[in-house]
Amino acid sequence: MQNPVIDITDLSKFYGKSRGIEHVNLEIGEGEIFGFIGPNGAGKSTTIRILMNLIFPTGGSARILGMDVIRQTKEIKQKVGYIPSDANAYSSMDVNEFLEYSRRFYQLPDSNNSIIELAGLFDLDLKRKIADLSMGNRKKVSIVQSLIHKPGLLIMDEPTTGLDPLMQSVFFELLRSENQKGMTIFFSSHILSEVQMLCKRVAIIKEGKIIQIEDIDNLRKKQLKKVFIEFGEDIDFALFKISGTKNLNAGPENVLSFLYSGSVNELVSYLWGKKINNLIIEEPSLDEIFMHYYQI
Amino acid sequence: MNGNLFLKEIRRNFFSLILWIIIITLFISVTMSIYRTFLENQSKIVGMLSIVPAGLLQFKGISNFNDLLSALGFYAVNNIIYMMVLGSIYSIVLSSNILLKEEYDKTAEYLLTRPVTRSEVFLSKLTVVSVNVLLLNLVTMLAGFICIEIFKTGSFSIKAFFILSLYTLLLNILFGSIGLFLSVIVKRARPITTFCIGIVLIMYFIYTLSKITDSVAKIGYLSPFKYVNTNVLDPAYNISPGNLLYFTGITLMLTIISYRLYLRKDIYT
Repeated sequence: MQNPVIDITDLSKFYGKSRGIEHVNLEIGEGEIFGFIGPNGAGKSTTIRILMNLIFPTGGSARILGMDVIRQTKEIKQKVGYIPSDANAYSSMDVNEFLEYSRRFYQLPDSNNSIIELAGLFDLDLKRKIADLSMGNRKKVSIVQSLIHKPGLLIMDEPTTGLDPLMQSVFFELLRSENQKGMTIFFSSHILSEVQMLCKRVAIIKEGKIIQIEDIDNLRKKQLKKVFIEFGEDIDFALFKISGTKNLNAGPENVLSFLYSGSVNELVSYLWGKKINNLIIEEPSLDEIFMHYYQI
Repeated sequence: MNGNLFLKEIRRNFFSLILWIIIITLFISVTMSIYRTFLENQSKIVGMLSIVPAGLLQFKGISNFNDLLSALGFYAVNNIIYMMVLGSIYSIVLSSNILLKEEYDKTAEYLLTRPVTRSEVFLSKLTVVSVNVLLLNLVTMLAGFICIEIFKTGSFSIKAFFILSLYTLLLNILFGSIGLFLSVIVKRARPITTFCIGIVLIMYFIYTLSKITDSVAKIGYLSPFKYVNTNVLDPAYNISPGNLLYFTGITLMLTIISYRLYLRKDIYT
């Protein structure tokens, strides 16, 4: 990739003897929306915290917009917005005071009205004390502060934590719109569906190592479901044979659960005529996906 | 240095500074207002003090009763407690919190992702501590000067007064650098205020203990209070180069080490 916006080379971080991340390599191009997914403790936040110069790597290097994340951190942060997973702000300030304080770091003119525009979009009361805000409203404040200087790159660590579905939708719409104007977006999540909604490419990290970098379309093709069936009659599970099933688990009282990568239509056809008390088809956890596709 | 951060920190610490100035000024004023009464009743007090063990008087900072008869001597004895001990507590508490508070309040992640370098954050906060400690010393020194002027019965050496004030400032700044150092070496972000106050009180206790008992006199050298000369009535009273080197040397060394450690500190929230 030529001139990647984020260029991570052989990046490692150890906390004493415990592993944070190991030999992570990643390139993210201009204008991409790139998802960084993995279960809790996989190393997503560690990678992001190194990019934001909050912690220091024990090996390798990382560059943002061609600049070294340690030596040129100030220049990088002029052009990067950051939303942490825990949205914390100065509790003694009110929202407006905090956002004005944030704005002054970028030496934006007073006439810059991005605060009012963004606060309006997220229905934020600028006069309220930070200490009195709910977790969701603090997250909104965090989102607004990350965008007031119109960054070219937005880095987010679990950005939707605390946001209600309505605000998530407003937020995603804003991200899509900013991306169309040229903003590159890099964000971590352990929720596959939100990554699928936004991203063009994803990197999957497990136990500190990147195990796969994929186009989201390829991942979607591998769509995996978690299925629970409670039969209303005795079933010989040994005869339950349908392609695309894995990790079949027969529980008591005629309950069967398994991972399924085939067509839902085919599954429903197979079950046609059988007495079923309950059928649940849901998204599996990332761990289960990893176990299914990436047996490492 | 970052002006935005500096101004925010000055505003944040303003109320606490005013409160400490009021408290110390009040203590100094009340103590100095007793001076005249003390002089009027000196014969009775001499009688009372004659039965008090010398060690206990040393503990209070009274090495020679005659010291108390001059306004400056009286001020110097009480100044130790109010300006040196309280001022040092203010200084160490402020400096130990100025960086660490961002970590245990979980705002460090926000601050360090602004377009500022670690160096700018450290220097801005260091400047805030220096300005606050300097202001506290200036105002309380002025209050002390006015009190001596009001209650004095004879002339006093202004030079000696300023040297004593300089010692106070150096001591307060040294404790400030200790607070800063402790805040950058602490592994898990949590308030260390009580621990820091404990350090000042223990240092003061070691100093007074070394004055009371000859057998433990040498442990006094562990305490920064030992290097403060309060013999303001000594005609040769001055700031010794050795003491000056002690205060500036330790302060500079701790500040530089703290700076270097902060530049490479992993910040977790």
